[in-house]
Amino acid sequence: MTLANSDTFEKISAILKAHTAVTVPITPDLLIGADLAIDSVQMFDLVMEIEDAYDISFPIEEASGIDTVQSLVEAIERLKNV
Amino acid sequence: MFDTDTNRNSVFAKFEKLAERMSAVSAVGRSPFGMRFDDMLSPTRARIGNEEILLAGTNNYLGLTYAPECTTAAKAAIDAHGTATTGSRLANGTYSDHLDLEEALKAYFGVASAIVCTTGYQANLAALSTLAGRGDHLLIDADSHACIYDACRLSDAETIRFRHNSPEDLAKRLSRLPDTGARLVVIEGLYSMLGDVAPVAEFLKVAHAHGAMLFVDEAHSVGCYGDHGRGVAQAQGVLDQVDFISGTFSKSFASIGGFIVSRHPALELIRLVSRPYLFTASGSPANVAAARAALGVIARDDQLGKRLWARANQLHAGLIAAGFQPASPPGPIIAIERPDDQTAVAEWNKLMDAGIYVNLAVPPATPQAKSLLRLSVSAAHTEADIDRILAAFRSL
Repeated sequence: MTLANSDTFEKISAILKAHTAVTVPITPDLLIGADLAIDSVQMFDLVMEIEDAYDISFPIEEASGIDTVQSLVEAIERLKNV
Repeated sequence: MFDTDTNRNSVFAKFEKLAERMSAVSAVGRSPFGMRFDDMLSPTRARIGNEEILLAGTNNYLGLTYAPECTTAAKAAIDAHGTATTGSRLANGTYSDHLDLEEALKAYFGVASAIVCTTGYQANLAALSTLAGRGDHLLIDADSHACIYDACRLSDAETIRFRHNSPEDLAKRLSRLPDTGARLVVIEGLYSMLGDVAPVAEFLKVAHAHGAMLFVDEAHSVGCYGDHGRGVAQAQGVLDQVDFISGTFSKSFASIGGFIVSRHPALELIRLVSRPYLFTASGSPANVAAARAALGVIARDDQLGKRLWARANQLHAGLIAAGFQPASPPGPIIAIERPDDQTAVAEWNKLMDAGIYVNLAVPPATPQAKSLLRLSVSAAHTEADIDRILAAFRSL
């Protein structure tokens, strides 16, 4: 299974769509800041929603290094296994 | 306004959008980001050019900046000890006045330890970045002040945000944490933008039930809430159980400086390892003396607090009667949400034209990206001052 059709990607795509005013198809290589116009403050709110969606702890230090949708999905996969 | 270098290698290139936004705001009228008071006349009056301005956005909650006790003490301290300490607390920057202020804070809050810092910002940086280390967990309210976020960045701990003023949400996030590492929950007594108060007693219960310590930043609330201004934790009956309290001398205490106090004697140890504490010059003799004098006034006399609350209630009720909806119940900070930045900027200018200064607060400095006209009340405001502020709001 590729990242683009994984369950996590699907779920995150839905969450991202709810947080962005930009109407483009969500793809793994999209930049969360530049392409989806989600700023650092909105990213922190997004992280809280992801924590609740996956019942995980997602430290904001982890979020600071995330730029693409793919890196967000990878971070969630990693944190789910902590 | 600014000629930013758009060359992508320039250090200024990243500020291009900021410069555009500043120019757009300033084009509406006065620049709210470059306010200059040509003369300060009193805790509630300043002069800009030939205009006398009524100040309703200063955080001078008790109006003590011109109190004879404070000004006399500050002048005497300069005469006795000079204009600066020229060194950090651990080197040559601790004078007997710094220690005397720490003893006075211990007595005022009834705690085992107190550390005086040079600013309130530094107090939170010094405490939080050091108390929570590698492998520990900082849990912070989502609406925390920038200095709390900066302290988290300086700490090696992992930071988890919880939803604003929600002990239930905190409990959920605490229960997800691993068993390893210390846990420190950070809240503010009174939030500086919207003026809402934290349910400190409820947070305390949740924190302690999950093996966490509670740190309460009372920067805006000390002097205003509780018995003789001892803060929100005291007002809610849990001052003796809260683990750490921080605050500033730059608001009710009419000076510059900050403090951390704790019921835990071991707080003293951070003096030896806290980088923000170690590597900054200590508070100047005048600032320390003014803060000590203000603390004396606050501890002795509760009339200022009563006056502050009378004016806060008057302003809050008057704004509602004028058709505005304050963001929070009555208190020293009253924020009015506006529909967007443009409306807030235009109204801020109209208020200035009417001789009233309030704070213009816009994203990203505000919670939930709100555009706000933020007022702070002072015990030095008269009933007539509040009436004048209300008249200006009615004419918006």
